Amino acid sequence: MDSIVLESVSKPFRHRPVLFNWMGRERTGETRALDGVSLNVSAGRVLVLLGPNGSGKTTTLKLVSTMFLPDAGRVLVGGYDTRMNASQVRKQVGLAIATERSFFPRLSGRENLEFFAALDEVHRRCRTQRITSVLDSTGLLEAGDTLVMKYSSGMYQRLAIARALLKDPKCLLLDEPTRSLDPASASRFWDLVRELRDQGTTILLTTHSFSEAAAVADVVAVRQKGRLVGTRKLANAKAEQLRDFYFSSIGELDQTLELAESIA
Amino acid sequence: MIVGTLVQLATFYYLSHAVGSGYRPEGMSYFPFLVVGSGVYTFMVRTISACLQTVQEAQQNGTLEVLMISSTPAPVLLLLSAVSVLAANVLQLVVYVEGGLLLFRTPAHNVNMSACFMILALSIIIAIGFGLLAAALQLSIQKSSAMLWLFGSGAWFMSGTLFPITTLPKPLRIISEAIPITHSLNGLRMALLESASFARLFPEISALALFALTLLPLGMLAFSFAAHRSRQLGTLSFY
Repeated sequence: MDSIVLESVSKPFRHRPVLFNWMGRERTGETRALDGVSLNVSAGRVLVLLGPNGSGKTTTLKLVSTMFLPDAGRVLVGGYDTRMNASQVRKQVGLAIATERSFFPRLSGRENLEFFAALDEVHRRCRTQRITSVLDSTGLLEAGDTLVMKYSSGMYQRLAIARALLKDPKCLLLDEPTRSLDPASASRFWDLVRELRDQGTTILLTTHSFSEAAAVADVVAVRQKGRLVGTRKLANAKAEQLRDFYFSSIGELDQTLELAESIA
Repeated sequence: MIVGTLVQLATFYYLSHAVGSGYRPEGMSYFPFLVVGSGVYTFMVRTISACLQTVQEAQQNGTLEVLMISSTPAPVLLLLSAVSVLAANVLQLVVYVEGGLLLFRTPAHNVNMSACFMILALSIIIAIGFGLLAAALQLSIQKSSAMLWLFGSGAWFMSGTLFPITTLPKPLRIISEAIPITHSLNGLRMALLESASFARLFPEISALALFALTLLPLGMLAFSFAAHRSRQLGTLSFY
């Protein structure tokens, strides 16, 4: 059964209307972050979105989380439409966005999680235990009582992942989850992703790392300029194979490889 | 803040002395008239801004998008965030009015307390309704502080904060009647300073009830619509 379904989804972002752009300083028109994208993620699978900056990867995650709504097509999570049954979708989805600016800096990590757990209706009786568990899973147990303003970028990243895990979501959405993590933390994180997948959590994540994608993905989807330009099921694929698939999908030369060959 | 409040109260006290005891707006002494007027006006505007600031701060510190994907409905989220400020505003109003009257030896006698509570409760509902509308505007055009300033200035002039609205020209008086703060001020002044009965207060209370019944659902609807539209346009975090 498909846990996440995108059916011909389009999401244009219109630039500022004329009224607010009277000096003509901003470009007009629109940017199509998603252009007729269809995608299915089966329950308990990991789908990795690859693509250049601005190809619409984060927008896809935001559409699944109900943060954005599609202009055309529909997004279904566990059979619920994000437009018609947003509250049902929100109960199933945990989103970790790669930004430091989404916490209350004068609260500790634990207090931030308590706040978000209350909003996400995590039962009061098991809240403390759940928070301790997600802090432990993300390696933040010791720093849990430190004010968030004193966190490093990597710790923010881990706290965002902890927040996404709070409600024990059926679908986990991760935006470049290891961007600021040190290698040891990243390695532990991928173990956690595999563990969650084995427990039946559907995971949709974005990354720019071929080796990470090859290590955890069941399916990869390559995006470019709002379109889906390639999907591939992975079975013990190597990072190099994935790299070749990526560059052939986006129709660009692998200049890094050429550079390495020219140096050799 | 305490010093500022005391200075304001002293200013009103000596202003009322300068005007003279012969000036009795609506049959009341001028000092308590001013204290209730400015206290209630400040309370209303602060409560409206509390909702607006909740959204502005969440937009600026980046928490709005994350809050909006929690399981709690958007208007409830806003009210929960503003509730501590609201409680502080109520406390401030009570301390300001009671403290001011006692400090300058013009205590109110035989106050109709139940009417005061009723008018205050209706005023809070109205302020929350306006607050939700202001928050909806902030989500939609990101410039609602200016609108709130405009509304606040208009209400300051026309709601009878410093002088009775009967001194205004007739067309402006009609507009005054359409501003809920006018009825909050009149009602509270009558209940607090004149021990007015519920029968006398009926026109003010019924007007406030009508505003409350209209503005709260309208505010909730407007905020839900604005949040939906922002999700559609992808502008939730814009400020």
